[in-house]
Amino acid sequence: MTDTASIKKQESTRTKPLVEIQGVHKLFGSHHVLKGIDMTVKQGEVSVIIGPSGSGKSTLLRCINLLETISAGRIYVHDDLIGYREVNGKLHDLTTKQIAAQRREIGMVFQRFNLFPHKTALQNVIEAPTQVKRQSKAAAKLKATELLEMVGLGDRADFYPSQLSGGQQQRVAIARALAMEPELMLFDEPTSALDPELVGDVLEVMKDLAKSGMTMIVVTHEIGFAREVGDTLTFMDAGVVVESGNPREIIANPQHHRTQEFLSRVL
Amino acid sequence: MSRLLSRRTAHSGGAGLELIDAVPVRHPWRWVGAVVILLILVLVVQSMTTNPKFYWGTFRTYLFDVLVIQGVGWTLILTVTSMIIAIVLAILLAFMRQSDNPLFRYVSWVWVWFFRGTPVYTQLLFWGSVGALYPKIIVGVPFGPELFSWDTATVINATVAAIVGLGLNESAYLAEIFRAGLKSVDNGQMEAAEALGMRRSKVMWRIILPQAMRVIIPPTGNETIGMLKTTSLVLAVPFTLDLTFVTNALASRTFLPIPLLMVAAFWYLGITSVLMVGQYYIERHYGKGVDNVTKAPVQATAAAAAAHAKPVDPADGTTEGGRP
Repeated sequence: MTDTASIKKQESTRTKPLVEIQGVHKLFGSHHVLKGIDMTVKQGEVSVIIGPSGSGKSTLLRCINLLETISAGRIYVHDDLIGYREVNGKLHDLTTKQIAAQRREIGMVFQRFNLFPHKTALQNVIEAPTQVKRQSKAAAKLKATELLEMVGLGDRADFYPSQLSGGQQQRVAIARALAMEPELMLFDEPTSALDPELVGDVLEVMKDLAKSGMTMIVVTHEIGFAREVGDTLTFMDAGVVVESGNPREIIANPQHHRTQEFLSRVL
Repeated sequence: MSRLLSRRTAHSGGAGLELIDAVPVRHPWRWVGAVVILLILVLVVQSMTTNPKFYWGTFRTYLFDVLVIQGVGWTLILTVTSMIIAIVLAILLAFMRQSDNPLFRYVSWVWVWFFRGTPVYTQLLFWGSVGALYPKIIVGVPFGPELFSWDTATVINATVAAIVGLGLNESAYLAEIFRAGLKSVDNGQMEAAEALGMRRSKVMWRIILPQAMRVIIPPTGNETIGMLKTTSLVLAVPFTLDLTFVTNALASRTFLPIPLLMVAAFWYLGITSVLMVGQYYIERHYGKGVDNVTKAPVQATAAAAAAHAKPVDPADGTTEGGRP
């Protein structure tokens, strides 16, 4: 771990958690997807969420940056209540402008990359800084070039997404999210759509990011990544947190039978 | 045999590789079909050139007649301006239709319902009679003083009536084309842009619409070429300077309708051809990154990927652990 990262981590110990999820429920019609999730993520922490498909882990992640609205509970990021304004115990919807402002602090990486296909790698990365933060094109390009180099794609700046491999596209997507200088990065199964030989490069970039002190919530099936990089591991099944704690301990010695069952299938 | 082999290896760059030189499937009926079509074509051309009732001399006289050229100009002006109005309105209507605001959605729906549901000829007649219905346009306080007023006939003259009539009618059809285009863009694009903190209007304008254009351009080109011919209905206004009206007037003056129909057809066909060339370039522009991905960078990617390939660190258990 680098010096700056350890300083960041020390700082974080005295402050409140960066992300606080309190009793969150999510219903899609009559389908109860999240059933009372509690979770905290401290500044600089890498929180890994695993679980079978349909367990609600992606939905939880999408609730944090308001791609889904929650049905009950509270989510706080940096003491900001996500999606609502609380006045005298009554919640009021935020305006689209306020929601956009909250999202700026949270970067998201998708399973299917979702790069803008009509823009080059560089244009993808500078889009939000120039359009949302109103940075000058020159400054944004400088920063974007740095970020693309950081993810190992300095020589791919002028390529369109269709000219890049899946792994390269996902690394551009990470650079694009980082360009907004978020406090928190959400990864929604970032390697699930990749060919096996391309997974390593993306995980490498995520590992570097974790070392730099970025707060990350990662939904993944990469147990190795959870063990090596994760500070906490949460196992979700059927909309509830079944088990949560130190990744190495849980993977080596899962307490709950559902965790044991899941791990025995993926390991 | 050995001679044949050596010749082929020479062709393949001398790598000792024997390239497949298969005999292609023959298609004799294609040749027969081509000959038949050519024959019909020759007959048609021959009959048209030798039939004196086509009056090709009159055709040549009027092809570049000043009135005809002006008619071509007016037809182009009507087509281009009404299409510009229609496209601007259609973008607005399509965005409104996808809006969270129910008022916008409803207004957009009613607009399309009305302008698509009534004949364009009727609408043109209406715009031509606005002056008779409302002789003056007055801006002022209701039941109070009058601030400005204009004669309707000077504000909505025949040209304006024709352009507005055509443009508003077309906007309804184009709105549906634009809506289909916007819907064709993957939902992940909206999510990714919103996750970056972009406002919805900005996402629509900068991310969704440019991608939708790939789907929107071909039917819009279709509509533009349709509009070129629809401009001939402006006699309903009445607007009397467009190509069809002018050639019809000349035809009744000369008592020779056929050659003047040919003149009009020649120009419509010519303009359509130019529009099709324009459409090709617009399609190419909006296809960038998707349709016209050049081969060279892909090869470069492969080469660079090979150069970049990092040896796997044996101590790095991440990938092995994740994918046993």
